Amino acid sequence: MQSRQRKQHKDHMTEQSTRAKTWHPQTDRESFRKLRQILCRQATWRWMLVVMMFAVVPPVPAQQIEREGVAPGDMQSGSLLLKMKSGYAVATRMNTAIDARVNGLVARVSVRQEFRNDGKEWVEGIYVFPLPDGAAVDHLRMYIGERFIEGEIREKEQAKKEYEAAKATGKKASLVEQQRANLFTTSVANIAPDETVVIEIEYLETIRLDEETFSLRFPTTITPRYIPGRSTLDRKGSGWSADTNRVPDASLITPPIVVNSTDHKLTFTADINAGVPLEFIASRYHVIDVVNDNERYQIGLADGLSPLDHDLELTWKPVPDRSPRAMMFTESVAGNSHVLLMMLPPDDLSAPLPSVPRELIFVVDTSGSMHGTSMEQAKRALGLALSGLKPGDRFNVIQFNSTTSALFPVSVEASTNNVDIARHYVIGLAANGGTEMRSAIQQALAGQQSGAHLRQVIFITDGSVGNEDELFGLIEQRLGNTRLFTVGIGSAPNSWFMRKAAEAGRGTFTLISALHEVGEKMERLFRKLEQPQLTDIVVEWPGGAIVQAYPEITPDLYTGEPVIVRARLDGEVVGSVSVRGNSALGTWDAELPIGISEPRSGVAALWARARIEDLMDRQRRGASSVDETRKAVTKTALSHHLVSKYTSLVAIDKTPVRPANASLNSELVPNLLPYGQSQSAIFGFPATATNAALYRSTGLALVSIALILMFVFRRWRPENATAYQV
Amino acid sequence: MQRRTRFKRFASKLIVSSLLCLGFWQFGQGAYIPAKAWVAQELMHRAWQKAEGGNQKPAPWPWADTWPVARLSAKGGEIELIILEGGSGRTLAFGPGHLSISALPGQNGNSIIAGHRDTHFQFLQYMKVGEKITVDLPDGRRHLFQVTDIDVVDSRRGSLILDTDAPTMSLVTCYPFGAMDAGGPMRYVVSAELLI
Repeated sequence: MQSRQRKQHKDHMTEQSTRAKTWHPQTDRESFRKLRQILCRQATWRWMLVVMMFAVVPPVPAQQIEREGVAPGDMQSGSLLLKMKSGYAVATRMNTAIDARVNGLVARVSVRQEFRNDGKEWVEGIYVFPLPDGAAVDHLRMYIGERFIEGEIREKEQAKKEYEAAKATGKKASLVEQQRANLFTTSVANIAPDETVVIEIEYLETIRLDEETFSLRFPTTITPRYIPGRSTLDRKGSGWSADTNRVPDASLITPPIVVNSTDHKLTFTADINAGVPLEFIASRYHVIDVVNDNERYQIGLADGLSPLDHDLELTWKPVPDRSPRAMMFTESVAGNSHVLLMMLPPDDLSAPLPSVPRELIFVVDTSGSMHGTSMEQAKRALGLALSGLKPGDRFNVIQFNSTTSALFPVSVEASTNNVDIARHYVIGLAANGGTEMRSAIQQALAGQQSGAHLRQVIFITDGSVGNEDELFGLIEQRLGNTRLFTVGIGSAPNSWFMRKAAEAGRGTFTLISALHEVGEKMERLFRKLEQPQLTDIVVEWPGGAIVQAYPEITPDLYTGEPVIVRARLDGEVVGSVSVRGNSALGTWDAELPIGISEPRSGVAALWARARIEDLMDRQRRGASSVDETRKAVTKTALSHHLVSKYTSLVAIDKTPVRPANASLNSELVPNLLPYGQSQSAIFGFPATATNAALYRSTGLALVSIALILMFVFRRWRPENATAYQV
Repeated sequence: MQRRTRFKRFASKLIVSSLLCLGFWQFGQGAYIPAKAWVAQELMHRAWQKAEGGNQKPAPWPWADTWPVARLSAKGGEIELIILEGGSGRTLAFGPGHLSISALPGQNGNSIIAGHRDTHFQFLQYMKVGEKITVDLPDGRRHLFQVTDIDVVDSRRGSLILDTDAPTMSLVTCYPFGAMDAGGPMRYVVSAELLI
C-alpha cells in the first residue's frame, strides 16, 4: 500500500511539471507587458478577485480526493484494513413514508421505503432500520411501477435462499428480516439504473397508555451501537463492526452512518380514531397539522418532510372523566378467540407511601454516543433527581463508559453536603469511550443491604449496545430486592433495551428526547418511584376455558399504568375476566364480561407477537432450549404471517429483468446520524489536526495580496499612468 | 481632481496596511501552534524526570489537567515525545495523548495514542513497516514495539479496536498530511506490536 501511495504521488508530480513546460514559452517580455496592461485597466478589481480566490482556496492533494470515497462493504474495522476504490459512492437513495391508522388501542402502520438507484449500474440496496420494539410485522409489498407483489412468510433460511436465487437470476426481489425486536433489514435486489422500487412494510402495535395519556412512537434512525467482545473471523453482514464473541451478529446491526443527506426524508400521516373526545393531540418532536372530524383526527407534518434523524411521537389525552378505565377487543381466527384486555386500577389506590427510607443508585451512561444533546438531557435529569432526594434517603452516582466508576465507595446519606458533591460531579461529566454496560449493572446491583431501605436503581442511557440479551439476563440474575428503572435519552434511544431492561428489573421505563421535556418526564418518574405499586396481580379467565395469556405473570404496576393482557381462548367463550391485585392501601378486584368486547382485526397478530416475545424470554432464562424455541416461534410466526428471529417475509417477481451480462452492486444504505450527536465521539477518533497550516497559508495569501495591491496602486498614480498606455 | 487622488491614495494605503496586519496576525497564529507544541514538550521532559523520580501523576505545569504517561522514541532517537493522558483537544495541543479508555503501552490490549499531524505526529508519514518504537514508562520499564501495519481509515465508518489478545499500540493522526482542513474524517493509523 505504501508503494502504491508513493506512485500516485509521483504521477501527480509529473503531471504538474508537463503543465509548467507548456506554459513557459509564453512568458516572454511581450506577453508580460500585455499582462501588466490588462492588470492596470478597469477590470483590475475583477482580476484581484480571481487572484484572491486562488490564494485562499487551499490546494487539495490528489490522493485525498481519491481516498474520500470508501466502499462500506470493503471497510473492516476489526483489522483496520481499508481497500481503496476510486469514485465509489452509494447510488441507492432512500426516503420513508409512514402512515398510521389508530383504532382504540390498536395501531396498524404502513412504512413505505422508497429505494431509488441514482447510479449507472444495477444495485442491490440493503437497509437496516428501526421499528417500534413491540411491532408485529405481518405484510410486505414490493411496488414496481403500477403493480405490486405481495410478500410471503418463510423460515429465515428458506426466505434467504429464495431471495438469493431470484437475485442471481436477475429477478426483482425483496426480503425483510428481523435482527433485533426493534431492528430490521430490508434487502431489494436488481434495481435498474434510474429506477425506483417501493417496499411497503406493515405492522401492528398496541398503543402505550400512561397517566391517561396515549402515545405512539416511530423510530427513524439507529444510534450507532457499541459492540463489546473480541472479533471473530467470519462476518455475516457488511456493517462497520466485525462480529464478536459477545455480539455474534454485530456486522448485521451496524449500518454506516452519514451526517448529511439530501435524501433520508420522512413523510408522515396518521388517522386516529380515539373513540372518545380528546383534550389534546400533539407530536413531541415534530410540528404537525391536525384536522378534526368528530372523534377522528387526521394528522400530517406541517413542514411536509422531516429528516430521518429523530423519533416521532404522537400523544393524545381524552377529556377528563371520559378516559376509558377498561377496554377489551377480540378477534376470531381459526375458531379461536383472541383477546386484548386493558384495565386501569382506580386512582385512589395510589396515595403517597408512608415514608419508607430509600436507597437510590443513579447510573449514568457517559459513553461517546451520549456526547452532545444527550449528555445535556442526562445531566438535567440527574440534577432533578438529586433535588428529589429526601433527608433519610441514601444515594450514590455511578458513571460508566469503557470503565465504571462510582462517586462514593458505598451509598451515603442524602445530606446537603453530599448532594452538593454529587451536583458538582454531575456538572463535570463528559462523554467519550465505549459502552461497557455489564460492569455498571453489576456494580449497581451489588452491595444490597437487607431490609431497612427500599433500593431503586435509576439507569440513564441511550441503550446503544449490541449485547442486549446478555444484559437482560444479568439484570434478572442479580436483581434481588432492588428495582431498576430505565431512562432512555437522546433523539433515537434503543426503546427495546429500555422496556425489557425495566421489565427484567421489575421497574418501568421513561423516554426523554428533548431538553424541554426533562422536567415533565422526570416528575412522572418520581411519582412512580414514590407511590405504591400494585403487586401480585392475577388475571382469571372464565372457568373451563383453555387459555394462553401473555405476559404469563403480570408485572407490578406503577402509578398510572394499566394491566395489559393478550390472550387466546380455545373456541368461543362466554363469561367474565376478573383482575385482582394488592396495594399498600388495600386490594383491587374488578370484573369485565367478555360480551362487552368489540371485534377488532389485528388482535390475533398482537397475541402471536406477545407469545413470541414470551418464548424468546424463556429461552434467555434457560427455561427452554434454542431448538424448542425455534420450533415454537416458527410455528406461531408462520401461522400469523409474522416476521421473527426465525421467519422472514420475501417477495419475488416472476420475470428476470437484469441482463445476464450486467453486474449487480450490493450497497448498504446508510442511516442518518441522530440529531444532536457527534460521530467522532461515537467512533472514538480524536481530532488530530490543527489549523496551523491554514493560518499560515491564509497569512501568506493576505500578505501577497497586500504586496500585489501595493504594486497596482503605484501604477495608478497619474505620472506613471501614461507610461503604460501605448 | 486633487482631492480625489488624495482620497484614492489614502484608501489604497489603508487597504494595503490592514491586509498586511491581518496577514501577519494569521501567520503569527500559524506559528504559535507549533511553538506551543514545542515549548510544552520541553516542559514535559522536565516533568518526566520528576515522574521517573517516583512522583505519581506530576503535572508538567501548575494548572495542567493532564500528566505524562510514557515517553516514546522513534527514528533511532531522532524523535522523542512525552505522551500525555487523555485525548482532548487541550491535551493534544501540548503533546500526543494516550486515550484513557485504551490499555497502557505494554499491557494486554490495544494502546491508542493520538497526536496532531502538523506538530508532534508529523513524523508518522515517514514511518515504515518493520521500524522500531521504544516506549518508556514512568516506573522505568522499557518496551520495544515494531510497526506491523500502516493504514488510512475513515473515522466515520471505522472504529479502533481496544480488545486485542497481545499488547499492541496504535498511533493515530489526521490524514492527509499537509492538508488545510483540520476537520477531515480520514485518519492515518500506525499499528505496532510488542517485541519485548
